Amino acid sequence: MSESFVSGPSVGSAAPDLVVPGLERRVSHAEPRVLAFVRDGKLTEPVTELPTIRAELRGLGAELVVVSPGGVWSVRADDPLEPLAAASAELAAEVSDAAQRYGVTHDEDAVFVIDGRGVVRFNHRLERRGRALWATLTDALTIAGRAAHMREGHDARQRVLFTRREWTVTCLVVGCATAFLSACKEQEHRPADRRSPPAEPAPPDVEVMLRINGTVHRLTIDPRTSLLDALRERLGMTGTKKGCDGGQCGACTVLIDGKRVVSCLTLAAMVGDRDITTIEGLARDGALHPVQRAFVEHDGLQCGYCTPGQIMSAVALIREGHATSDDEVREQMSGNLCRCGAYPNIIAAIQAARRTRG
Amino acid sequence: MQPFAFVHADSVDDALATGGRDGARYIAGGTTLVDLMRLEVMRPRSIVDITGLPLTAIEDMRGGVRIGALATNTGVAYHPLITTRFPALVEALLSGASPQLRNMATVGGNLLQRTRCPYFRDGVSPCNKRAPGSGCAALDGYTRSHAVLGTSGRCIATHPSDMCVALVALDATVHTRGPSGVRAIPIGDFHTLPGDHPEIESALLPGELVTHVELPASAFAARSRYTKVRDRASFSFALASCAVALDLRGTAIRDARIALGGIATKPWRAREAERWLLGRATTTDNFRRAAAIALEGASPRPDNAFKVELARRTIVRALQRGAS
Amino acid sequence: MTATPPTPAAPAGKSPSPAAPNAPVASNAPAPNSAAPAAPSGPRAIGMPIERIDARAKLTGTAIYAAETPVANVAHAVIVGSTAARGRLRSVDTDAARRQPGVLAVLAPGAVPKLPAAPTSGTGNPADRVLQLLQDDKIWYADQPIAVVVADTLERAQHAAALVTAAYDSTPPVAEIDAALGEAYTPEKLAPFGEPATTRGDFDAGLAAAHARITATYTTPVENHNPMEPHATIAVWHGDTKLTLYDATQGIFGVRNKIAKVFGLEPTDVRVIDHYVGGGFGCKGTPWSHVALAALAARAVGRPVKLVVTRPQMFALVGHRPKTVQTLTLGADAAGKLTAIRHTVVSETSRFDQFVEPSALQTRHLYSCPNVITTHQLVKLDIPTPTFQRAPGESTGTYALESAMDELAYALRIDPLELRIRNHSVRDEQDDKPYSSNALLACYQRGAARFGWSRRTASPGSMRDRGTRIGWGMATATYPARMSPSSAIARMRPDGILLVQAGTQDIGTGTYTIMTQIAADAMGIPIEQVRFELGDTAFPETPVSGGSQTAASTGTAVKLAVDKLRDQLIALRQSPDEPWAHVVARSGRPELTAEHKTDKRPDTHSYHSHGATFAEVRIDPDTGEIRVARVVAVYAAGTILNPRTALSQLEGGIVWGIGMALQEHTVRDRRTGRAVTRDLADYHIPVHADIPELDVSFVEEPDPFVNPLGIKGIGELGITGVTAAIANAVYHATGKRVRDLPITLDKLL
Repeated sequence: MSESFVSGPSVGSAAPDLVVPGLERRVSHAEPRVLAFVRDGKLTEPVTELPTIRAELRGLGAELVVVSPGGVWSVRADDPLEPLAAASAELAAEVSDAAQRYGVTHDEDAVFVIDGRGVVRFNHRLERRGRALWATLTDALTIAGRAAHMREGHDARQRVLFTRREWTVTCLVVGCATAFLSACKEQEHRPADRRSPPAEPAPPDVEVMLRINGTVHRLTIDPRTSLLDALRERLGMTGTKKGCDGGQCGACTVLIDGKRVVSCLTLAAMVGDRDITTIEGLARDGALHPVQRAFVEHDGLQCGYCTPGQIMSAVALIREGHATSDDEVREQMSGNLCRCGAYPNIIAAIQAARRTRG
Repeated sequence: MQPFAFVHADSVDDALATGGRDGARYIAGGTTLVDLMRLEVMRPRSIVDITGLPLTAIEDMRGGVRIGALATNTGVAYHPLITTRFPALVEALLSGASPQLRNMATVGGNLLQRTRCPYFRDGVSPCNKRAPGSGCAALDGYTRSHAVLGTSGRCIATHPSDMCVALVALDATVHTRGPSGVRAIPIGDFHTLPGDHPEIESALLPGELVTHVELPASAFAARSRYTKVRDRASFSFALASCAVALDLRGTAIRDARIALGGIATKPWRAREAERWLLGRATTTDNFRRAAAIALEGASPRPDNAFKVELARRTIVRALQRGAS
Repeated sequence: MTATPPTPAAPAGKSPSPAAPNAPVASNAPAPNSAAPAAPSGPRAIGMPIERIDARAKLTGTAIYAAETPVANVAHAVIVGSTAARGRLRSVDTDAARRQPGVLAVLAPGAVPKLPAAPTSGTGNPADRVLQLLQDDKIWYADQPIAVVVADTLERAQHAAALVTAAYDSTPPVAEIDAALGEAYTPEKLAPFGEPATTRGDFDAGLAAAHARITATYTTPVENHNPMEPHATIAVWHGDTKLTLYDATQGIFGVRNKIAKVFGLEPTDVRVIDHYVGGGFGCKGTPWSHVALAALAARAVGRPVKLVVTRPQMFALVGHRPKTVQTLTLGADAAGKLTAIRHTVVSETSRFDQFVEPSALQTRHLYSCPNVITTHQLVKLDIPTPTFQRAPGESTGTYALESAMDELAYALRIDPLELRIRNHSVRDEQDDKPYSSNALLACYQRGAARFGWSRRTASPGSMRDRGTRIGWGMATATYPARMSPSSAIARMRPDGILLVQAGTQDIGTGTYTIMTQIAADAMGIPIEQVRFELGDTAFPETPVSGGSQTAASTGTAVKLAVDKLRDQLIALRQSPDEPWAHVVARSGRPELTAEHKTDKRPDTHSYHSHGATFAEVRIDPDTGEIRVARVVAVYAAGTILNPRTALSQLEGGIVWGIGMALQEHTVRDRRTGRAVTRDLADYHIPVHADIPELDVSFVEEPDPFVNPLGIKGIGELGITGVTAAIANAVYHATGKRVRDLPITLDKLL
């Protein structure tokens, strides 16, 4: 899919000027940029893809500039979509010129990643095949992001994007024990020891199908991966919190087959055939679970970090039916630490939810 | 966490075949193993997942109970056979850890629970248990959590289990299967004293698998109690704990079991104290005397010296509860 | 080709209206365009128990905390800590780590770039701490960062980090204050708290004239904040000179400024974002080494890096409450009137930087007394630098002062509450200023009535319930009502939504909620039409969320910005009932905005909150186990913006006070200087079962001087006093005066 453009700038060459109304004040290439030429200008907000686009832009440390005859938009990871120029005859002409310099014809879409020095690091012709613009663009960003880090590993010289060489080089002398303190004192960037030790082979990953909140996720994981890290780092389900990573705080509480457990001490590879419920799976069709509602009413939270664990634990506690008095509930909730000290309100919330349930 | 090969066991035979390999560990609840692996304190080369094995049953056994090694702490604590016959076990289980951990932790795993000694867990301090021959940082270190009974010059780490203390008072037997067949190990022989080899903590042989625990019917089980004293009201390890089981005729003690936790290197049976109580009345004075006997030979260190007196008082309290 | 016309751009030079992908919104918003503006006829939202606006996001798991920010291809960094506490690093062996699959880099001294501005000697300015950034071979404390491992997955980074080993030229550390009390010195400043020592009147004469005197030394232990959310930073470089940090912090601007300085960047080139903070309590108040290390690592590997501090590391890398040794001498006449007070404080600090726990501050003004001496001294140890921890100074200080007052009450045979009433201070005698408001006497009265204090029998051990010993104790709570310059921007949009932005943070205190209330009332609209956004240095600059100052500081800025915007809208409006949305639409501009920056508050008054705390403990006479059975606390804290969130904060403070009194204690191994209690199993914080129902309430306290809305902070007030109330209750129950926190059961055996 990724191929160089015949008449456009190739990877490693300087990016042509981009004189587009609205972009003048950003002509500096100090910040990496993903430049997208698109044919049509129907730039409605990409509601579905926006979180992915933002994540990819963070990964690239870049701004996305979408250029079309119908308008120019800036998308930054942590800002709202910003229209830089509206449709006009002038814009159409400018965009047409710019596209030509980049070797993009009027009937194609293309993406260029330009680093902080104004050098093209990646280019990619978009193939929409009937798909929506943003979906295609999102894929292109994902590919660009992977390409940026593809050649990494032990040979850090081959940095592709956005890194000043001297920084990279200096990080290579790590481990050269005989040299390192003198290097530190002299503060010179001595030629790096480029010989990386041979990498140990990785033990085989395992396949696991995690059934979370009724949805099956197929993952290939390092067997060391905890359920908690699988949720947070692999599946983007960050509602389950990591507080201690050692079973001492309860912030990572989830339900497995309806029973509350700490996901930090659960290996993901061991729960492939079980029903996992996380905080994201409690509310139904936008309606809060009764325990969640009670937490709002009784202000059973402050910073909110222990809260998903408290709620999962409370939901299980009510189901278990072992605790009814305030003291029993306190005892049975004691695996969930709350450093803000919301305890009295949490107990009030649980009791209210328990009574509501009958 | 050191990389490891991950294997599911489909049967006990399957488990024994893979679990017997060098550097292999069985995993069930994971509450000890995953924790210690993440701390790089335990570094097995392979992990054998035994959660699919049919070892979860809790069954009547001629008035006693047979508990599968994979029964969870929660499953045991709320099982009618246990709640009606062995209250000390219920109290011990429910005083341990948190509901989440009790849902994960299994009886077999709890037998093999490892110490909370911070020098063992920190991965770098000298520790004969973690790195045999490296020394013991606890001996002259901070010892609030450490043992005063059963210690050696090489290790003073406390056995942290609540459940095991109750099992000791209830005369449990641990049943195992290993490459060379089945064994029945009395609970008192299951855990070993640190002695010169703190790294060896139980009678279990490499690759041997705990299959179940048997609690015999006894005259005193129904009167058993577990009393735990700790630094906060819940979710903390015992500073001192005591399981007692008394067989009484009126106020006379016909038979007694006293087991101690939080203060010893293994779940501790106070046999001398038990013997002294035989035939005596359930008076506080007698309980105090028994408690004093139980702590004879204690070797405290500066930070845990209070445990000697605390343990005595805990024993008295436990005996009072057991007699009432 | 057709195009949808883009909506007009925001005014140049202003930060754009926000992305707000992660900001909470008030639910059930009515159709805003139909709403006609009402005149703000007195507050409607302020003072109401509005439900926490960010509750839904937090309860459904959609609130994104710093480490959860989605970043494609993020690498994971893990810090390797020193096992030595004092000396020099001889070498670091990273070979084994680098052999691990997926390892991208191992940073260690000598193998990282020299940073332009890494100070090596401490000024004692917490905002500009000395950090340990692998710049040299000095070892100052155990667990100090000596390397950072970066790998493509967390599992790989963690294991590789465990394989890094080091050799040291080290000497045994001195890590206990007791071992070095003789080396105590007086710091130049109590930064940021003023002078280290004060003298008023003639202490010796006052003490000589006293009818009763007590002298006692109280010690408070090292404690760690342990917010439930570990410290975490994701660093994203945009080229060589622009950096975005998603950082778990109580002070985004402080992080921005410090990191800019460390890397030689312009502050405006560093952006710090944190929409939700999982608790801070002081340790997230100033940036620590890991933040810069994350940025350094990201630079080294050329891709974004996530660095989450582990729970054990949080006992060394992010500050702690220093141990204090405090000696109180009190003298009083026969009627109980104080004639002399001396409060000396010695606390620990690191060898390379300075932090003073200002425990004697409240002693300068809380009680009326003509002759008062206070001093603060420091002892340098081989430990990390301590820092602010919830009510730095007043938490430890009121424990000592209020325990001493209890001892004095027994010496005088005067009821402890009565003794305090007799010494009530109606004016700040140290600063010689009137209090802006002080309803402490009303707190005593209400608290005593709610607690039933009059039924207390004075003699220690005199109250029992069957076998259980019962103790009743009380103490005064106090904390300064601080305020700093702050700023906010208000934007009225064409849809009638008032968008207010200020950098600030919500660390669980309710900032989102109370700012929304303040803005709604200032504009005279329902809260559903207000959206408040925070946690981004792209927004107007605000102070750190520390010192209980956010509501007062940024609340005032929000009010004044919205006032300004409202004036602007009124001037443009065609008729008194023209909806604001129409005014904006007619203006031809995308939105109408007003920004306000507040000035420093005039120093005309002494600004403090107060409270009265009463505690009942129940103690097992055999095992010494102490349980707090109930706490009654009554506070005077100016305008209570939102009783629901305010009560939560104060209850949380009381929970902290219970933990401080009975449980919390970071123990360092005296041979290695390492924290031995380095996880949440060994470092006890209260659990549900430790906390009884708490009876917390307020008395009215109008304050026309403290700031336009009469706001005083309440984040820290709750932990003050209550620790002493519990300690006094333990004495009342047992006759044992434990002067060394925490009061664990072994101290009662």
